[in-house]
Amino acid sequence: MSGALIFAAACLLSAMSVAAWSARASLAFTLAGTIVGFFAALNLLLGPNDWEWTSSFLLGGEQLHLRLDGVSAIFLVLVSVIGGTGAAYAREYWSDRDYPGSAARGRVWWNALVLCMGLVLILSNGLHFLMAWEAFALCGYFLITLDNRRPEVRKAGWLYLASSHAGTLALFAFFALLATHTGSWDLGPLPEVPAPLFWLALFGFGVKAGFFPCHIWLPSAHANAPSHVSAIMSGAAIKMGVYGIVRFGGWLPLPVHAGHVVIGLGAVSAVLGIAFAMGQNDLKRLLAYCSVENIGVILIGLGGALMARTHGNAAWGQLALAGGLLHVWNHGLFKSLLFFGAGSVLHATGTREMSRMGGLWRAMPTTAGLFALGAVAVSGLPPLNGFVSEWLIYLGLFDAATTRAGFTWAALPAVILLAMAGAMALAAFIKAGGIIFLGAPRTKAAALAHESRVGMLVPMAALAAACVVIGLAPGLVWPAIAHAVGSWNSVWAVGKAPFPTLGTAQFALAALAAAAGFFLWRNSRANGLRRDLTWDCGYRNPIARMQYTSGSFAGIPLGWFFWALRPERKFRRPRGPFPAGSLRLERIPETVLERLVAPAGAVIARLSQAALGLQHGRLQAYILYLVAGLTAMSLFVFLEGKP
Amino acid sequence: MMIVRMFLWIALAPLLPGLINKVKAWVAGRKGPPVLQLYYDLIRLWQKGVVLSTLASPAFVVAPAVAWVAIAGAAFLVPLGPAGAGVSFRGDMLLMVYLLALARFCTAWAALETGSAFEGMGTAREVSYAVLAEAAMFAALLSLAVQTGSVSLVAMLSPSAGAGTALLAAGLFIVLLAENCRVPFDDPNTHLELTMIHEAMILDHSGPPLAVILHGASMKLLLYAVFLTAAVLPLGSLPPLAAGAALAGGVLVVALGVGLAESLLARFSFRRVPLLLTMAFLLCLFSLLVAWKGGAA
Repeated sequence: MSGALIFAAACLLSAMSVAAWSARASLAFTLAGTIVGFFAALNLLLGPNDWEWTSSFLLGGEQLHLRLDGVSAIFLVLVSVIGGTGAAYAREYWSDRDYPGSAARGRVWWNALVLCMGLVLILSNGLHFLMAWEAFALCGYFLITLDNRRPEVRKAGWLYLASSHAGTLALFAFFALLATHTGSWDLGPLPEVPAPLFWLALFGFGVKAGFFPCHIWLPSAHANAPSHVSAIMSGAAIKMGVYGIVRFGGWLPLPVHAGHVVIGLGAVSAVLGIAFAMGQNDLKRLLAYCSVENIGVILIGLGGALMARTHGNAAWGQLALAGGLLHVWNHGLFKSLLFFGAGSVLHATGTREMSRMGGLWRAMPTTAGLFALGAVAVSGLPPLNGFVSEWLIYLGLFDAATTRAGFTWAALPAVILLAMAGAMALAAFIKAGGIIFLGAPRTKAAALAHESRVGMLVPMAALAAACVVIGLAPGLVWPAIAHAVGSWNSVWAVGKAPFPTLGTAQFALAALAAAAGFFLWRNSRANGLRRDLTWDCGYRNPIARMQYTSGSFAGIPLGWFFWALRPERKFRRPRGPFPAGSLRLERIPETVLERLVAPAGAVIARLSQAALGLQHGRLQAYILYLVAGLTAMSLFVFLEGKP
Repeated sequence: MMIVRMFLWIALAPLLPGLINKVKAWVAGRKGPPVLQLYYDLIRLWQKGVVLSTLASPAFVVAPAVAWVAIAGAAFLVPLGPAGAGVSFRGDMLLMVYLLALARFCTAWAALETGSAFEGMGTAREVSYAVLAEAAMFAALLSLAVQTGSVSLVAMLSPSAGAGTALLAAGLFIVLLAENCRVPFDDPNTHLELTMIHEAMILDHSGPPLAVILHGASMKLLLYAVFLTAAVLPLGSLPPLAAGAALAGGVLVVALGVGLAESLLARFSFRRVPLLLTMAFLLCLFSLLVAWKGGAA
């Protein structure tokens, strides 16, 4: 194990060092490193044991302590998969030919990011963890701002950096408090620290995970980053935040309401995340908000597990946790697939605006098919992987409900909100897939689109295949998930998979659907296929602009969530004869950022500005400050000293 | 046994729309189309050629087939009184609901293939209202699960729904009307209105794919009718023959109810559709509260 991990790290370092000279060699090293990392982590998950390694080597005055158990191995598998496929995709997507200025830089930071995420997962010393965490956040910043000539990219990068550091600040406090309570920076099960520390960890890691309302950095960063970077940020980087919450949710003693709060945050993130996604016209912003939703789904599962842990390790908690952890994998897989698809569409049409696309399936059929598969998976529909993980979470919560214990009241709304979020995800992805790939091209650029090269399609196909395999044969991945659940809470060392029948049913369904589709196609062909204009109730001259738009498609749910979304609308009706200059504009702001955080920031900036008046360079006044300060202090000490 | 079960579902499903139409004709004092009309239509459509929109991809034809398989799969999971379900496992009710969602995804995808604004409108409405219908359906499932303390359809549906039965029945009946595009949500008689939901989505389908869509829709209607009947009646406590008869009678009563609702109500304006669905959700939610707090266990 140590050998494999050292080899993987060496490969990534080599990939960084040769990145400037040879893209091919760098990719080869990245693939070698991620494949070895993938198999090392998978091997550990499928075996019975965990791996731990302590060295007398001191770094920052602390002993190096590495640990890979079920929980971190789950995340390491995901990081390896996306690190490898993303690097392969970037070879074509962000090539030296198209981006001579930043392609090599991108490869360096990519490998550094993958390496740092790996380190975050295996370092088991608080101080070293923080170092790796900070390095990982910085790598993310440099990747997001690869295309730094565009002002909106720089702005998104700055927002990411600022929010990331707000989270890191909380983590500094968290780890320092841990160290003062335990007397060592070493991490592991920490039964003796006070429970409220959990809230600090929840906030610190939550900013990275991007649950509502800590998600403010996420939409703009994911939308403006290059698409392969969006994929790894959404697929793996925000999962590091989830990792932190899972990890310390298992190690720390929990406050009584920890599970309820996490499940509530999850339900709110799921519903509002997908409501915001529904309102977007920018494809990559839609995908970014959908990540908020999926983090919510993961948190619902995790919240169930935390709730079960505080209620005597109830057995249903293991189903919820298994579902949450499997959803970590699943979301990483299909969201990366969708971001790669979005990258291909962006590459082909030069825009992220869905209302400028349409009919792309004809030019790029493979991308359209893979995107559709990703859309089915992200909507949590059988027979793909998204359904398996959501099914586990549902089953855990249903079991919790049937016990009629105190926690039923938290499980019931979580189930209903999860169901609503699922139905809205379906609506959002029907909208995305339909507006982008179906119908007639809305602009000339969309009509002239071209299919991506094989180098971009193969990584997408690999991710799609993983989605299909987990969906059709969930029994294959169960031992890995069971190991992670056992590592998280040793009481839950689960054995048999809960879904022998589900796997068979999904498989039979997929086979039957394929057969039925083929049969119907053949029968229709035999009866005679004739091509004609879309019927459109007899109208003979349809034009592309008459198609339904992304904005009108989302109209109904937008009305329901008006209170949260606050769309900014500009509407000038056509008036009188010969109307001119009518228009309708609609923009969904990032409400939390623009209505809460930005105004609060402005107030702080004004106060700071006012405080600047105290500094004016007059010595007499400074001496007055000193005297006043000293007087106040001595007064304080004098009064405190009295019994 | 499995083949007999699927044959029953597939063969009997088109009967239900025929019965509903008879009820409507009876209330209106007309003679009405024959009960077997849908069978004739299906056979006719199956033999016809297909007119495809120039914009449509092969998915336009394949998606209805996938949707049909999904609905048939969902039907396979629903227990038929004494005959039990085709497959039963813990959590099968989730698979049932999500298979119906898969069918919705496929129909919606095929509808958007044509680039027609009518289909776009219908799709947007279908997928939006489904959010509320799904919430009501899950509240109903939770209510049954809490009432019976079990999480598989066979066990959930064999006793009656307990004290909240009336609430649950009313809620599920509204969901049935919404999900199967009946009045007051939608009007299955008019294909040409701007105000349609489901019918607007299939405007451009013809020939065998349309036959598959129509048959799938009738199977979905039968599925909801069976689910509603089984949820309300204590089929598990009756002797097998009586249970079978009660199930069949219940389905007929549902068909009668749909026909009467269709004859006596007008279609609601679209602004009121979410309100009615919210009411269905609240009814199911109250039955859930009754099951949770009022139940004996």
